[in-house]
Amino acid sequence: MSRLIKNELTKIFKKKSIYITLLVILAFVILTNCIYKFFYQSTNSYGYSDNYIQYVKEELAKLDPNKSSDTKLYIDLKSEVELYEMIQRYEEDAWQRDILSTRVSTYVNEKNTYLYGENKDQEKVIEIEDKINQIVEKLDQDDWKYFAQEELKQAEVSLNNLEEQKANTQDKQELQSLEIAIENAKIDKQVAQYRIDKNIKYGNDYRNTALNTYQNEAKNIINMENTEQELEYVKKQEYNSSLENREISKYIIENNVDINKANDIRGILQNFFSEYGLFIIVVIVMIAGTIVSEEFNKGTIKLLLVKPYSRNKILLSKFITVLIMIVFSILAIVIMELLVGGIIFGYDSLSVPVLEYNFNTQSLESMGIFTYLGIQIITQLPKLILLATLAFACSTLFTNSALAIAIPLLGYMSGDVINLLVIQYKVEFMKFFVSMNWDFEGYLFGNLPKMEGMTAGFSVIICIIYFIALLIPTFIVFRKKNIKNI
Amino acid sequence: MEKTVLKCENLNKKFGKKQVLDNVSLEIQEGDILGFIGPNGAGKTTTIKLILGLQSITEGKVSINGYDIEKQFTKAIEKVGAIVENPDLYMYLSGYENLKLIANMYPGINQARIDEVVKLVKLENRIKDKVSKYSLGMRQRLGIAQAILHKPNLLILDEPTNGLDPEGMKEMRDLLVELAKQEKMAILISSHNLAELDNLCNKVCIIKNGKIIETSDISKIKKQENKQFKLFEVDDIKKVKALLPEAVMIKNNRFKINVSKEEVPEIIIKLVENQIKIYEVKEEEKSLEQAFFEKTGGNVIE
Repeated sequence: MSRLIKNELTKIFKKKSIYITLLVILAFVILTNCIYKFFYQSTNSYGYSDNYIQYVKEELAKLDPNKSSDTKLYIDLKSEVELYEMIQRYEEDAWQRDILSTRVSTYVNEKNTYLYGENKDQEKVIEIEDKINQIVEKLDQDDWKYFAQEELKQAEVSLNNLEEQKANTQDKQELQSLEIAIENAKIDKQVAQYRIDKNIKYGNDYRNTALNTYQNEAKNIINMENTEQELEYVKKQEYNSSLENREISKYIIENNVDINKANDIRGILQNFFSEYGLFIIVVIVMIAGTIVSEEFNKGTIKLLLVKPYSRNKILLSKFITVLIMIVFSILAIVIMELLVGGIIFGYDSLSVPVLEYNFNTQSLESMGIFTYLGIQIITQLPKLILLATLAFACSTLFTNSALAIAIPLLGYMSGDVINLLVIQYKVEFMKFFVSMNWDFEGYLFGNLPKMEGMTAGFSVIICIIYFIALLIPTFIVFRKKNIKNI
Repeated sequence: MEKTVLKCENLNKKFGKKQVLDNVSLEIQEGDILGFIGPNGAGKTTTIKLILGLQSITEGKVSINGYDIEKQFTKAIEKVGAIVENPDLYMYLSGYENLKLIANMYPGINQARIDEVVKLVKLENRIKDKVSKYSLGMRQRLGIAQAILHKPNLLILDEPTNGLDPEGMKEMRDLLVELAKQEKMAILISSHNLAELDNLCNKVCIIKNGKIIETSDISKIKKQENKQFKLFEVDDIKKVKALLPEAVMIKNNRFKINVSKEEVPEIIIKLVENQIKIYEVKEEEKSLEQAFFEKTGGNVIE
């Protein structure tokens, strides 16, 4: 048996096609890494594209602020242009842009409303312009802490107001909504405090991003926790993902580690299967889809079948070879990424841990990138094995390589689409469908599965059933097959 | 008594309703070379596939070295070497790599054995080349090499002389005769090339439309054909007509006459005495072929 497997491996590795495929994949790995290195933008850059502003300006020129039908649009567009011009004064990564686009934009809009709108008020305009100028002055002084302090002050003020209101209210319903508002205000205050304590600048900085995420997700959670009726399943999943994001953001803020960084070797390895999953599947399907059919097409199957081995053994040796090649193709692409990513980004980031929120223990779990990658590989293996088995079965049943490659690839691509539809429209019976069960990532760390009522054990059973259902006819047909003239 | 290596008993094969083989029975003893002759579509390759277990047997039994091919496949096939249809090998591998793959599938074939076989089929100069660069003749020889690598006692060759040049054919013939003699190998060889089999086989089996219509020793057939046509080329055919009334005239001053070997000198003397110049006398070479056509009645695929 081991001799047969050795022969199969020899045949695969003596073929040019596998090296050509690996070479193409290597080229894609290099390209991916280069794009991450040179073109990646971690967060949205503030401001608009030149083309857009050009368009806005042209539209603006066509409008007449005195015509009542045009007024509203005129104000909006005018404000955008003005804001754009302010933003342009600062460098692309400058923190000032963040402040301008979040805080100042409302002022600009307000100012223009008083300037061009129905209720013109010159005094107000001057008042607001003063405010804007004050802000711009602080921006020019590069004094971001001023804004942080302001933020904190504001949060404290509104918190106090809310507390006061609460003390004076008897109405139950109002009391409850006030409590939620207080919780939200507390988050605002906490965020402002974090910013000052941890020295987190506004703008394009991973810590600022984390802080914003933390703020949003924490508020999300408060709102979801305070809804009266029980959460729908989709909402529960949303809640879980908010919880995870909040905890990870908190970790980033407190430890100054960029856990979510995507543009380094660790980030790419962390998203290994979403970056390179298709490549792995193509290699696997290519091998599994030709390993039997090619022998038939070339007539070499006769060479194999007149040797002192039972047909079952011959087919089994080929299937085991396919399984070996799954491991090989994963390792090959991991190694490619390690080499290419290492050259382009260096290996420093590999020491940064990966975090997963464990819903069972309700705490963050920290692990090395390779442990995480290992877990990912294990959760993806059922999918890879099933697709390879499908290719192998088609290869044996149809003895047609093109079909045996096309069908599993179609299955892989349509699987995701079907899953989306099934989840969206809650098609209950489809939870027995293979593509709903072959990805085990959702079962990790106590997270909620794709659909209510599914468990890891259930998915394992479904996968095994599909696996056996594919293999049994394959072996039966191969054993009985008449070798026709070729 | 010689050992029976291959025994086919009443083989029947149906593809759907079509009866492809009808009660085919064969037997090959140690050291025999059996020529398996028949027109295209007569069922030669199908018979070979049944013998090798490549297709299921509808009815009947094949036993090789006493083992049933369907019930004890691995035991039965163990000492069989075969080429079916074409010498299909892995084109992207070298000749040597191909042999290595085959060697891996049998226990105890070492480097020395591979080298020995390569020498035997005279491929030693090209064995490291990719098979895709081989001519058909070289592929045939490599096919034989892979078939005899494990020293089988039954060699089954489907049209092995296809694509060989005359010299290659002679070499192949010598090789097969040697294998049959020295290794006591039984050889089943199917071919269209009847002249080939004439010099090679000691037994002949003729199949037509899935039925065996003649099985006999080649010497017997030869005896039947003792009186055969001799071809004469002379200067003036008109004179011959009067002298030899039974002669069949052919154009270009040639005639043929159905006589035994012993009668030939008499005819020559007769001709010479009558001042007829003789340019050439030869045996008409179609003996087996003729027998074959007589038996099969031409090539009709039903």
